[in-house]
Amino acid sequence: MFEVRFHGRGGQGAVMAAQTFAEAAVLEGHHAQAFPYFGAERRGAPVRAFARVDDKRITIKSQIYEPDMLVIMDESLLDIDPVADGLKPTGSVVMNTTKAPQDVDIGVAVRCATVDAIPIALETIKAPIVNTAILGAVAKICDLVTIESIKTSINDRFGEKLGEQAARMNSLAAEMAYARTVVGICKGERTIVRPKVWLPTWKELPQGTALGEDTLSGVTVGPGGSLGNYTGTWRTITPKYDQEKCVRCLRCWFCCPEGCIKRLEDDHVKWDYRYCKGCGICANICPADAIHMVKGAMEP
Amino acid sequence: MSEKELAIIRDIPNNDWFVSGHGACPGCGMTIAVKNIMRIIGNNSTVYVPASCLIVVSAVYPTSSFRTPLFFTAFENTGAVTTGIKAAYRRLGKDATVVGIAGDGGTFDIGLQALSGAAERGEDVLYVCVDNEAYMNTGIQRSGSTPFGAWTTTTPVGKKTKGKRQMKKDMMDLVIGHNVEYAATLSIAHYNDFVKKVDKAKRKSGFRFLHVLTPCVPGWKTESAKTVEIAKLAVETGMWTLFEYEDGEARATYRPKQLLPVTDYLQLQGRFRHMPSEDIKVLQRWVCNKYYWHFGHEAEQPACAMFKGEPEMHFDGDPLHGV
Ligand SMILES: Cc1ncc(C[n+]2csc(CCOP(=O)(O)OP(=O)(O)O)c2C)c(N)n1
Ligand code: SF4
Repeated sequence: MFEVRFHGRGGQGAVMAAQTFAEAAVLEGHHAQAFPYFGAERRGAPVRAFARVDDKRITIKSQIYEPDMLVIMDESLLDIDPVADGLKPTGSVVMNTTKAPQDVDIGVAVRCATVDAIPIALETIKAPIVNTAILGAVAKICDLVTIESIKTSINDRFGEKLGEQAARMNSLAAEMAYARTVVGICKGERTIVRPKVWLPTWKELPQGTALGEDTLSGVTVGPGGSLGNYTGTWRTITPKYDQEKCVRCLRCWFCCPEGCIKRLEDDHVKWDYRYCKGCGICANICPADAIHMVKGAMEP
Repeated sequence: MSEKELAIIRDIPNNDWFVSGHGACPGCGMTIAVKNIMRIIGNNSTVYVPASCLIVVSAVYPTSSFRTPLFFTAFENTGAVTTGIKAAYRRLGKDATVVGIAGDGGTFDIGLQALSGAAERGEDVLYVCVDNEAYMNTGIQRSGSTPFGAWTTTTPVGKKTKGKRQMKKDMMDLVIGHNVEYAATLSIAHYNDFVKKVDKAKRKSGFRFLHVLTPCVPGWKTESAKTVEIAKLAVETGMWTLFEYEDGEARATYRPKQLLPVTDYLQLQGRFRHMPSEDIKVLQRWVCNKYYWHFGHEAEQPACAMFKGEPEMHFDGDPLHGV
């Protein structure tokens, strides 16, 4: 059994990539399955998708905890998600990055294929969506599929959904990525920090599963417990506040979907960047032009 | 209640009962509405949320984003469960606001009978419908709330059809038909109007219904930064009308001086991008009719935006004018 875990951000098409990979494996005569992580993740959030390939029928349905291969569609995930958690030391990794394999550090030193997929996606499908380009790199390092079967699978999947032209451009993206992929060994220096979890036995579950504000096994639970979830990691652009210009209308305080704009005593405002997802609404509605969105996730 | 009435943003208590760390899409309109409603309602309240985006993004066991008690059961139950929670509080001799927050699917469609029951019995609960005009949590299927022409996965766009063929259901009319204590439409872009209505709903007892239009970034195919701008345009084009119903009468709370053409609203949203001009005309006519149906009896009328060559519409006393 060969198990692959795809890591992307919500909206990047990680699920589609997993499905296309599985279909390519089937075209090569294997059995395969693919499925998404079922959770509350929305656009921009770190998401996972899974694929399994075997020579006989696959009956296991669980998520993949010890993958043979990782496909990382967004390099910034390494800093916010324990991406390489459970990766077998004999495994491999495929990554969208501008770096060479030996400069990549995922926390486990394994065989590594890198490709700078964004320019390829921009050139072919005219959007920074790398789910098809990355499959070209997968074909380079994984023996279970070939670039031909990947291309056929892309044509099937995308042709049906988005039309012939889109299918052609997406398989061209895979082909270009295949040609540009570099294979080497990555570094294993990074420490992989696993998030704490509270895993009660059924006997420990409270009646009606109701919880009060509490900390159990180091995890904040109950009302307001979502404060332990730092959604600021989803951000790619960041609001910058110019207090001089602020007219204290509090519109941004009203309009922030995250509630991460804090209202001070004097009705000036302050951002709690741990939660800011970078939606840009505050900058869009500010009547005094006191908020600007700047590229990157760095706090100003 | 003797506390000062709230009228502007500055009056909203600086206390969050719906907190950060929820998993909604960046720019989600629903969370803007919920966060501010909770600030105004306060923590002497219990919230019920049925299956919808809101429960999925704000209550991932074992955590929740509500700092008040939060309850969740099945999709169709908002009217019934809020009734039950209130009954339990009465039994305990406790005075707390019971709030049910449901999506449009959970209100217009599957939750309609429970809502109707609670409204007809005059239960002392506050029902909030956060209307994103489709079943978003399950991946954008049409609902009774989806507007004419909009793309959803179940009203596809192709050679044979071009998005939804039916008009948006008039939910407020259905609720008002139950002669409820209070009902109002809210917009997240008309701040003071929003504040006043939520405060009013909090003060009253009996069945109260708040209907908020909450733009949805992936479902409407919009830019996340434009959520509030789009909510504003919904009102300025007449696609969303701001009014309230109390003491047996409906009253406009905000009326644009001159309605903008619907295209100003449609063009910012991918779900309408395919709309042929005949369909846009049908929608524009529907907007004008709806506007006169709501406000025709009130003195001033905005001249409705129509397209070149179309006769301008004015209310002629017949609500079915032009249909
Ligand atoms: C009886 C039942 N049918 C279907 C579902 C699946 N389901 C969960 S949430 C949802 C969509 C909710 O849509 P809406 O009420 O419009 O809220 P939104 O997600 O758009 O905020 C559906 C169909 C369910 N949970 N229960
Ligand atoms: S799908 Fe729409 S309603 Fe649901 S969380 Fe995302 S933006 Fe909000």
